[in-house]
Amino acid sequence: MILTLHLLALALYGVATALTLAPVMGMRTPPRFLTIALPCAGAAMHVVAVSQLTLVGLAPALSMLALCLVLLQLATERLVRGSAVGFFTGPLATGLVGLALLIGLAPGAEPSAGRNAWFILHVALSVLGLALLALAFIAAALYLLQFRELKARRFGQVFQLFPPLERLDYLNRVALVAGFPALTLGVLLALGYAARFAGGLHVGKAQIVWGLFTWVVLGWAVWVRVVRRWDGRRAAFASIAGFSAVLLVYLALKLAEPGAERFL
Amino acid sequence: MNDGAMGIKVLGVNHRTAPLDVRERFAHGAHEVPGALARVMAAGASGGVLLSTCNRTEFYLVADEERVTDVVWDLLGERIHGGATAREYGYIARDRDAVRHLYRVSSGLDSMILGESQIQGQVRDAWEASRAQAGPVLHRLFQTALHVGARIRTETALGAGTASAASAAVTVAGKIFGDLAGRAALILGAGDMAELAATCLADEGVRVTLVANRTHERARVIAERLGANALTLDEAWPHFATTDIALCSTAAPHAVVTWERVGGVIGGRRGRPLCILDLAVPRDVDPAIAQIENVFLYDIDDLQTVAAQATARRHDEVPAAERIVEEETDLFWAWYGGLGVVPVIKEFRSRMEALRAAEVERALRHLGHLAPEDRARIEQLSQALLNKFLHQPTVALKAAAEEGRGYGLLEALRRLFGL
Repeated sequence: MILTLHLLALALYGVATALTLAPVMGMRTPPRFLTIALPCAGAAMHVVAVSQLTLVGLAPALSMLALCLVLLQLATERLVRGSAVGFFTGPLATGLVGLALLIGLAPGAEPSAGRNAWFILHVALSVLGLALLALAFIAAALYLLQFRELKARRFGQVFQLFPPLERLDYLNRVALVAGFPALTLGVLLALGYAARFAGGLHVGKAQIVWGLFTWVVLGWAVWVRVVRRWDGRRAAFASIAGFSAVLLVYLALKLAEPGAERFL
Repeated sequence: MNDGAMGIKVLGVNHRTAPLDVRERFAHGAHEVPGALARVMAAGASGGVLLSTCNRTEFYLVADEERVTDVVWDLLGERIHGGATAREYGYIARDRDAVRHLYRVSSGLDSMILGESQIQGQVRDAWEASRAQAGPVLHRLFQTALHVGARIRTETALGAGTASAASAAVTVAGKIFGDLAGRAALILGAGDMAELAATCLADEGVRVTLVANRTHERARVIAERLGANALTLDEAWPHFATTDIALCSTAAPHAVVTWERVGGVIGGRRGRPLCILDLAVPRDVDPAIAQIENVFLYDIDDLQTVAAQATARRHDEVPAAERIVEEETDLFWAWYGGLGVVPVIKEFRSRMEALRAAEVERALRHLGHLAPEDRARIEQLSQALLNKFLHQPTVALKAAAEEGRGYGLLEALRRLFGL
């Protein structure tokens, strides 16, 4: 059942992504309701599938991250008419679901943890935080591309398809400011869960050091945005730096200690 | 065809052949038109109209000498520097092609924004401004050009939609700010274009707060209409620190928004974006201003490019519009070809006949001894000679008329024989 629902979600995300990317390929823009209805249908199936998952291990986390990205894409479409966000979130979510299916959605090493409220909250907030930071990164990238086109007075596809600068800046700020506390709380819940239910913290020094480094970089990006009131290009670069730090540190740690049993 | 023969010509530059910085040098203000046309007329043109818009500067001429062409290129060439010549950017269309060209221009088929309607008014204004020098052929040509423009607008959907530089200004500003409601706009200049664009922005909820112009009185008139405050240009510069959109459309012959005037002021905006829309030709804004990071500067070419994208649907109407242009070109050409040929030939022949009769009569007065049949033979001989002499010119005139070149030959005939 989980597998079938994931496959259906994957198919719907795939078609929705193809439709979203059609204008970029020079094809006719599809009806708007299709580019909303298809990921909505996919997300509905995905929600049912994820609710049946034991949230332990890499594949369930990736699946949940994909779901969060699709839900954020739909929210973005609704709130800021930022359909161009789907150019990135669509392929990313589709790829993540595909990867989760390839890795295998079987429960990880600690199936009992998957039923613990602290653990579920930890996973949900951490994944939501990551998805929000990814959204902030996407908004920042779109901002920089649109900025470059507007400054260069080019009126091609980026000009026509991407949202206005200030809307992208707003999206970047909201996603970054929401994503950082969500991720922080997710990590704190993990610490609480480890202390209370798992008999202590079972992580290496490298994970602690690099984890702290990432948190500081992200914190700096939020600080300059909120306290120093950076906006526009500078804020976009800070946001990209923050998410890049998360991504690079995660990949480095994962390469150092491979395995699909744990997300990190 | 013989290029040197009297005929209709159009010489000029437009948005396809010359970039904006060249076109703005060629642009002629209304006060410059009579002087420019006087120079061309002095070189031998019998009629002239100068059409100068932000997209084109074109001389419509009835002329029979290549020297006139040289004068036009020289006249335009004096406005550019750096070793370039006007000829490099220019084009010439002759006779039927020139007629077709004007009809395409007046209907918006040749515009950067396909089907735009502003050109009709500009063609009418050019005709009005050149009325004294236009002459009968160009009067008729411009009159019919306006008719063709109106006909195409009525019978096709070439002008459908709202694509214009003014509406493109809204699109571009929207790509920077998203929602335009509540944004503040400053208008420099108090011409029709400035008012039109300001109205488009106001329709989107933009607050037009200030209107600045060289003369305060004119600024006040527009400001009252838009519910804004009026300023002189010098009072406007500090407001570049606070406004979101600056719309520039003055008639100044050089840039008025310069780095010296607003560079420091814009630097104090703390990164807030400023959208500057320069609708003027010559441009009002020094392009160096665009180097400031948070400044987004767009000139008329940029806005027309954006507007052109919005008019893609109009391309479907082009074949129908082109058919009307061809139809009307045929009608004009038929008129132009037969212009006065019959009455002039009649007058020419009767003038020759009168000369012949007078000369024969004078000769016969001295030949009173001749028998009546000999006198009749002389009469016949003179008649036959006249017919022989007039045959070729008459045939040539009629042929030229059918080819649409009758006007030039008729002019020559009138001059040669004092008709």
